[in-house]
Amino acid sequence: MKLEIRDLQVRFGGPDTRPVASVPELTVDGGEIAGLAGESGSGKSMTILAVLGLAGTAGAAVTGSVKLDGQELTGLSGAALRAIRGRRIAAIFQSPSLAFNPVFRVGQIVSRTLRMHGLAAGQARERADAAMRSVLLSPELLRRYPSQLSGGQLQRVAIALALALRAEVLLADEPTSALDVTVQAEVLELLRELRDTRGMAILFVSHDLAVIAELCDRVTIMRAGEVVEQGPTGQVIAAPRHDYTRELLAAVPRIGG
Amino acid sequence: MRGEALLAVRDLRVTYGAVRAVDGVSLQIDRGPFGLALVGESGSGKTTVGRAILRLVPAAGGTIRFEGQDVLGLRGRPLRDYRRAAQMVFQDADNSLDPRMRIGATLAEVLKAHGLAPREAGRGAARSADRGPVGDRVAALLREAALDPELASRYPHQLSGGQRQRVAIARALAVSPRMLVLDEPTSALDVTAQARILALVRRLREERELAYLLITHNLAIIGELCEQAAVLYLGRVAETGSTAGLLARPAHPYTLALRSAVPEVHAAARRSRIILSGEAPHGAPPPGCPFHPRCPVAVDICRVSVPALRTVAPGRQAACHRAEEVLSGLSGGAGGAGGGLPASQQSLPAGTAAQLADDPLSTEP
Repeated sequence: MKLEIRDLQVRFGGPDTRPVASVPELTVDGGEIAGLAGESGSGKSMTILAVLGLAGTAGAAVTGSVKLDGQELTGLSGAALRAIRGRRIAAIFQSPSLAFNPVFRVGQIVSRTLRMHGLAAGQARERADAAMRSVLLSPELLRRYPSQLSGGQLQRVAIALALALRAEVLLADEPTSALDVTVQAEVLELLRELRDTRGMAILFVSHDLAVIAELCDRVTIMRAGEVVEQGPTGQVIAAPRHDYTRELLAAVPRIGG
Repeated sequence: MRGEALLAVRDLRVTYGAVRAVDGVSLQIDRGPFGLALVGESGSGKTTVGRAILRLVPAAGGTIRFEGQDVLGLRGRPLRDYRRAAQMVFQDADNSLDPRMRIGATLAEVLKAHGLAPREAGRGAARSADRGPVGDRVAALLREAALDPELASRYPHQLSGGQRQRVAIARALAVSPRMLVLDEPTSALDVTAQARILALVRRLREERELAYLLITHNLAIIGELCEQAAVLYLGRVAETGSTAGLLARPAHPYTLALRSAVPEVHAAARRSRIILSGEAPHGAPPPGCPFHPRCPVAVDICRVSVPALRTVAPGRQAACHRAEEVLSGLSGGAGGAGGGLPASQQSLPAGTAAQLADDPLSTEP
């Protein structure tokens, strides 16, 4: 198991308060896309923050275990965590513009990140260029400012950064919700490629069950902080066991009506 | 079509500086109950069309007629009357509800602004939102939008996103409009809240015999609410027709790609995916058909000649040189397995057409 989450609980407040996210078990293997589905307030985004060791920045406390290749991440020191976060576990979010400081050229942010993780300048340049081509963007675009790139392009640069870092795990929190549906299709295709050709372990968070259904091999459904149902995507959709899953599935609008 | 159209838009043009956000759009809304879906992605001009119809942005050309009357030339009282008859529900209820006003006061304000309630000065004004004829009317509006009248005393931040959107709908209905423009009414909502809003619009449509323009990028929500649909791309109409017909057999490659891009929960409903290269450029479109840089079936004529919107089948119009072929099944998607990028896009030498299409700056002078 690449990424293993066990008994993870995220709380604002003391140990007696109700967790905003409670995940008994969630694993993602290399070469797999696992889906985490739920509506607002389900706790899915807090789960991602907890995996990244960033829940504290929101004022939350985390208990439980998150392991990367068997190594425990919770409780790691700041320096040790920084060596992993962004480098071995990368993340992309709904608003790609948040990942890029608007006063810097995109390439500056990419190469600075690569150098922060130990690459020499020349090597950083090469990796960045190669990664951009992998996401079907011209390396020329690295000279642009974030405002000069579209949402879809920015999201792809964020993915390119994860590739350049040789990240093994990609956490994607609603990465396509703000994108046009045709652009979304391209980004999802790219994620599939990352899974298939690079063996990445991808945890894909979304409120859009249709996207989850198409993209994810397995799915975990959360509601109000709790895991409600889990299993292979096809199975959960064809034979949902929980009423909430049924309700979610029934609410998804379909072209056929 | 039943008699004269309620709203007839002909050759509408709207510009923002040098950018032609809307470049010759014609559409028609029949008397209610009736829905027209205006479908498009970023840069399509769909929101601008909605705003131009309601006189929220100036038109640079074309005509808009509502119940036979020229809308663009209205002033004074007739313009006020039009603004009562045609109402908008904005995309983001969070931005259209005053956060410092209670819900009841927001609704009361609309009634008073249009002379539908007695005006009161000073402190009486705030209190009257809860009582008397105004209070009753507010409560009735909330109930009609499937909201508890108790919510009148709450502030917007105390309501959920779905509830706020219903308040926005209630406000639009407060003046008994004959036509609504709904701009992405569900995009900011969770799927269950979305389902409730759609059900609400369906119910109100029947109860009030509403006619509406539903602006959306989501093809999955138009089927049950709209008889007719128009697909926009870069400020122009790509195709129009009955919603059912357009979804079942698109006549434009863009519609085909759009339809294929919509994710489906059930595998059986999925179609082979046509992946378009790049994104729609911002700014001016290229010469020829605006869609040709991304079109999987573009041929030489597409690069030089702008296709006119023409009838390609009964009740179906499309602006594409190959529309008849598309109707007959031409798709340009990768055979068999479907999906995957076309071979020409696998590697990206600088300066290719696809790169330019990708590129928001590609059309800078």
